Amino acid sequence: MFEFDLFELTRATVTTLVGLTAVLASLGVILCSSPIYCALYLIGHMICLALLFLLYNAEFIAAVQIIVYAGAVMILFLFIIALLGGKKEIQEPSTERSLAIAFVATMLGELFLSATVGPTRPIEGTFDVQTVAEVGGSAKAIGLELFSRHVVAFELASVLLLVAAVGIICLSKFSYVPVRRRMK
Amino acid sequence: MIDDVIDFFEPYTYLIIGSVKAFVIAGALLGIVPALVWLERRLMGRFQVRLGPNRVGPFGLGQPISDSIKLLFKESIIQSSADKFLFHLAPAIVVFTAIVTFAVIPFGEPVKVFGQEIGLWVANVNIGLLFVFAISGMGVYGMVLAGLSSNNKYSLMGGLRSSAQMISYELTLGLAALSIVVLTGSLSLIDMVNSQDSYPNILIQPLAFLLFFIAGIAETNRAPFDLPEAEQELVAGFHTEYTGMKFAMFFMGEYINMVTMSALVTLLFLGGWNSYGVPAWPIVAFSGKVLFLLCVFIWLRSTYPRIRYDRLMTFGWKVLVPISLLNLLVTSVLVVL
Repeated sequence: MFEFDLFELTRATVTTLVGLTAVLASLGVILCSSPIYCALYLIGHMICLALLFLLYNAEFIAAVQIIVYAGAVMILFLFIIALLGGKKEIQEPSTERSLAIAFVATMLGELFLSATVGPTRPIEGTFDVQTVAEVGGSAKAIGLELFSRHVVAFELASVLLLVAAVGIICLSKFSYVPVRRRMK
Repeated sequence: MIDDVIDFFEPYTYLIIGSVKAFVIAGALLGIVPALVWLERRLMGRFQVRLGPNRVGPFGLGQPISDSIKLLFKESIIQSSADKFLFHLAPAIVVFTAIVTFAVIPFGEPVKVFGQEIGLWVANVNIGLLFVFAISGMGVYGMVLAGLSSNNKYSLMGGLRSSAQMISYELTLGLAALSIVVLTGSLSLIDMVNSQDSYPNILIQPLAFLLFFIAGIAETNRAPFDLPEAEQELVAGFHTEYTGMKFAMFFMGEYINMVTMSALVTLLFLGGWNSYGVPAWPIVAFSGKVLFLLCVFIWLRSTYPRIRYDRLMTFGWKVLVPISLLNLLVTSVLVVL
């Protein structure tokens, strides 16, 4: 009597809707004139990305996406907008603007062209849904991969981040002028 | 016909059970809020050697109902300079994130109803703890947006303070919880409870418990860390311009966050629904611990004065974060050895 698979249908619909929302939100980021709303569109976009990760069974990456980008980075964006006073920018036609629109239109055209040429292919990796389930969750799978095959790169990245953090503290704590005087 | 319908829905039983559980728990959380307000006012009264609400009904039990009715029927005022959309959105974010966070909190062992095993949680995700942090981190947006959209300098200050405070204390919260993750080897809250069946984690991680609890109080914006709404300096902080039910929604968020935080402390450190020899149903043991922690929250509010804002940040960054890092380091070394 009922032939279709309700689960797959719902999943496909939800995935498409979330993807569409992500695209619309990212359009909102560049088209909106108020900085607060731009930031909010970006948050919306991040959340949609996290939802897409979630729909493809990557719970750990989804949670990290929300914690790092939507939770920490964007809060600082909003913080700065609040401190500087987010005024609406006045939009007037200019050459740069039309150039930008032409660029975006070209990119979109290319996107449609690539869509007609052939279907996108998934990247082949070590893990699929079953191996991840055997290991015991996506967090463990990522941990195993990261700390076995990519441990050097991982440690190097952490050193890089540490240097950046120390650099930021140095830049903000000590003013630039005395450093230049010493140079003379 | 009915057989057809039953056959059709057979594979989706878990979906139906899940939706019912989601509705029940969301409803229960919203219902708990007035009860908590009543408890807080009664207890605060006792702590301050006065009676507290006692006119409406026995023991003042009717007070929350009359308060709710008052808040529902109050005129909703929005000043003309506010950003209308964000002004309406902000309280909704606060309540929504508060309720969604509770989705991964388990509060008992699975029970069998009509041969169907039902877990006493909405969702058993294997990244449970991370999910809690992710969603509760989104709750900050409600406060920031409330501050931004109100177009009022006190609101703005309150919003900024709350975001700075919550980002700072989230670190301590996460690091303290990480030591338990290292001990358990899992991010799932159910695994954590199961690993504590012989003794609760507070016995081996007392420092982490203390750090987690302090950071938890700061995360829920409760006294003595309720700087975002310090009356002396900021009128009422980020919700200065809010009236009626939208004003109440901020408090709903705060109280639900309190329950979630107490539940998290119970799950991570107090052994969840393990009752350690005391004859009690798992769910009763769990609720008892949560209720006790909620009373501690209220007790702290009536005991400590609010601390100054710069001291709060110094305390967070220069005391709590280093201690929690050290604690995590020592725990990891001990686990590896």
